[in-house]
Amino acid sequence: MNTRSIHFRLILWYSGLVVAVALVFGAYVYQGVRERLYGEMERTLMRRASQIAENILPHIHDVPPGDIAGQIKEVYSPEANGRFIRILKEDRSIVYISGAPKDGRFNPGAIPVPPGIISAKRTEQLAPDLTMRIVTVPTRIQGESYVVEMGAPTDDIETALHGLVMTLLFGLPVVIMIVSVGGYTLVRRSLQPVEDIRATAQQITFGNLSNRLPVATTGDALEHLSVTLNQMLDRLEDAYEQASRFSADASHELRTPLAILRGELESIVRERELPASLRERVGSVLEETERLSRITESLFTISRLDAGEAQIQHVRFDLAPLVQTAAEQMALLAEVKKIKVRIAGSPAPVMGDPSRIKQIVVNLLDNAIKYTQDGGDISLKVSAAHHKVILEVTDNGAGIAAAALPHIFDRFYRADHVRSREIGGAGLGLSIVRSIVQAHGGSIEIQSIEGKGTACRVELPLANGEAEHHA
Amino acid sequence: MRVLVVEDEEKLAGIIARSLKAEGFAVDIAADGARGLEMATAYAYDAIILDIMLPKLSGTAVLDGIRQKNKHVPIIMLTAKDAVGDKVKHMDAGADDYLTKPFSFEELLVRIRALLRRAPSQREDVIKIVDLEVDRLAHQVKRSGKRIDLSAKEYGLLEYLALNSGRVLSRTMIIEHVWDESFEALTNIVDVYIRQLRNKIDEGHEQKLIKTVRGIGYTMNHEADT
Repeated sequence: MNTRSIHFRLILWYSGLVVAVALVFGAYVYQGVRERLYGEMERTLMRRASQIAENILPHIHDVPPGDIAGQIKEVYSPEANGRFIRILKEDRSIVYISGAPKDGRFNPGAIPVPPGIISAKRTEQLAPDLTMRIVTVPTRIQGESYVVEMGAPTDDIETALHGLVMTLLFGLPVVIMIVSVGGYTLVRRSLQPVEDIRATAQQITFGNLSNRLPVATTGDALEHLSVTLNQMLDRLEDAYEQASRFSADASHELRTPLAILRGELESIVRERELPASLRERVGSVLEETERLSRITESLFTISRLDAGEAQIQHVRFDLAPLVQTAAEQMALLAEVKKIKVRIAGSPAPVMGDPSRIKQIVVNLLDNAIKYTQDGGDISLKVSAAHHKVILEVTDNGAGIAAAALPHIFDRFYRADHVRSREIGGAGLGLSIVRSIVQAHGGSIEIQSIEGKGTACRVELPLANGEAEHHA
Repeated sequence: MRVLVVEDEEKLAGIIARSLKAEGFAVDIAADGARGLEMATAYAYDAIILDIMLPKLSGTAVLDGIRQKNKHVPIIMLTAKDAVGDKVKHMDAGADDYLTKPFSFEELLVRIRALLRRAPSQREDVIKIVDLEVDRLAHQVKRSGKRIDLSAKEYGLLEYLALNSGRVLSRTMIIEHVWDESFEALTNIVDVYIRQLRNKIDEGHEQKLIKTVRGIGYTMNHEADT
C-alpha cells in the first residue's frame, strides 16, 4: 500500500477523526448513563425511605405500637429484593434493621451507622466486589428524631455500565471498518475526476494533441486544475504546430535552391571537355546534394505525418502479400550477404496507405539486412490477432546496445556513428517508420540484445471486412 | 519543338531552359502565372513545364486556363513532394506528368521526350545495344548470343537502362521506375542490383555496357566503343 498517497492519507485522517469522535461520544454516553442510573436509583431509594418515614414510622407511637417490621417486610420485602433498610433513633439505637438478603451477599449488621441525623447519600464498600449506595432520610415523630436508611447494591448498575462499555468497545472496530471502507469509496469517488484527467492526459501524444482533458464542473480547485491543464495543452499544441510547420516550411523552402544546385552541377558534369579530376569532384558534390535532398524529403515527410497533414490513402488491403512483394523486391540485398529471409504470413487486412505501409516493411527489412552479418537469419511474420495486425521482423544480427535502445526513434540518432555512416542513411529511417505507424493508429516496439539480434514488432489496427489485393 | 517554362525562380527556369536548348528545343520563359497563361494561349507550344507555386496566378489556375482552350498540349507540373492528393487532382485536371522538386534534369528530359513521343526505342520489342539483346516480350536477355538468366528485378532494371540508353539515370529515377516510392530512402539498393547486373552482363566482355556517372547515377552505352 502506498502510504504517501492522497487516498491513504485522507482515509487515515478520516478514520482517526472518527475514532476520536467515537471515543469522546462513548465517554459522554457512559457518563450520562451512569449518572442517570445512579440518579434514578437514589430517587427510588429516597422515595421509599421517605415513604417509610412518613407512612410507617409514625405508627411507632400507636398504642399498641404498630408492627413496623411486619409492614416494611410486607411493602418492600428488602430481603427478597436484596435491599438494605435500617431505622435509627437519635441515640443511634436501632429501631429496625432488615435481614440478610436471600443471596447473603452482605451483612446488614456490619454496615456502619451514619454520622448524624441528616439527609445524606453515601457509598459503602461492603466487599471488594460489592458497594452499596445508601440514602438517609431524617424525620421527627413526636419530638423524637429518627433516621431512615435505605440502601441498594450498585452491582446491577455497574454490570449494566460494564455491558455498555463492552458494547461500545466492540462497536469501535466495526465503526472503523465502516469508516475506512466508506471513506475509501468516498475518496475514490471524489478523486474520480482527477483519475479521469490522468487517464486522458496519458493518452495525449503528439499525434492527438488537439484532444483536451475532461473539465470537472465542480467549481473548485479541480475545475481550475483541468482548465489550467487544458490551457497548457493549447500552448503546447501551438508550439508543436509551429515547430512542425517550421520544419515542413524549411524543407519546402530548401527544395528550390536544391533543384538549382543540382541542375547547375548536372550541367557541369555533362560538359564534354571537363577534366576527369574535376568531374569526380563535381560528382562528389552532386552526391552530397542528393543526400541533402533525401534528408530534406525525409524531414518533410516526418513533419507532415506527425502533423497529421500528410494525405495518406485509405484503402483496405492484405499486409501479407505486400510483405512478400517487398521482400522479393529486396531479395538481392539479402542474397549478397547470404542471409536467409523466411516469410510466414496469414491474411492480415489493414486499412491505410499501401505505399506508406510498404515503406515500413522496406525500412525494417533493410535495417535487419544491414545489421545482420553474412549468413544470418531474418524472419518476417505477419499475423492477425484480436483487433490488430502484427508484423514482426526478427534477425540474429548485431543487435542494439541497451543504452542506445531508448533513442533509436529519435531523429538523426545513430546507434553507432562510424558503422552507420558507412552503411548510409541519416538516422531518419526509424523516425519515418514510427511516424507512419502512428499516422495509421498503430504502435511499434523494438527489442534487442546486443550481439544476439533484434526483434521489431509493429501493430496496426485490423480492418474489418474483406481485404483487397494490393501489393 | 517549342517548350514554355512557367517558373518564377529565375535561376531554376534558366537551368531548365539551358538543358532543353542543349537538347535542341526552343524555349520561352514566363515568370508568373498570369504571363504563363497569356503566353500558353497566344502561341502554339509543343510542351509546357508548369510550376504549381507561382505569383499572380497559381499553377493550378493556369492549368485550368490552358485546358479550356487547348486540350492537347502536353503539360508537366513541378511541385512539392508528398502532396499525393494534389497529384491526383492535377492529373484529373489535365496535367500529363508530374515532377517533384528537386528533380533530376535528366529525368525532366526523359519525361518530355516520352510526352513528345520522341523515344523510338520504346516501341521496339527487342532492344539491341551493341551485342546485347533485350526481348521485351519474352523477358529474355542475350549477350553475344548467349542467354543470361536474370531475376525479375534485375530484368526490370536492365530494361529500364536499355530503354533509356545514352541517358544518365539517377538512382531516384531508377527507384521510382523499377521499384516504387516505398523504396525512396533505399538508394543503395540500386547499387547492389547494378553490381549484380554488371556481373551477369559485363563480366568477361571487353566492352562494359553499364557505366557509372559519378554524382548522377548510371547509364547504358548506346553504341559500340570506338
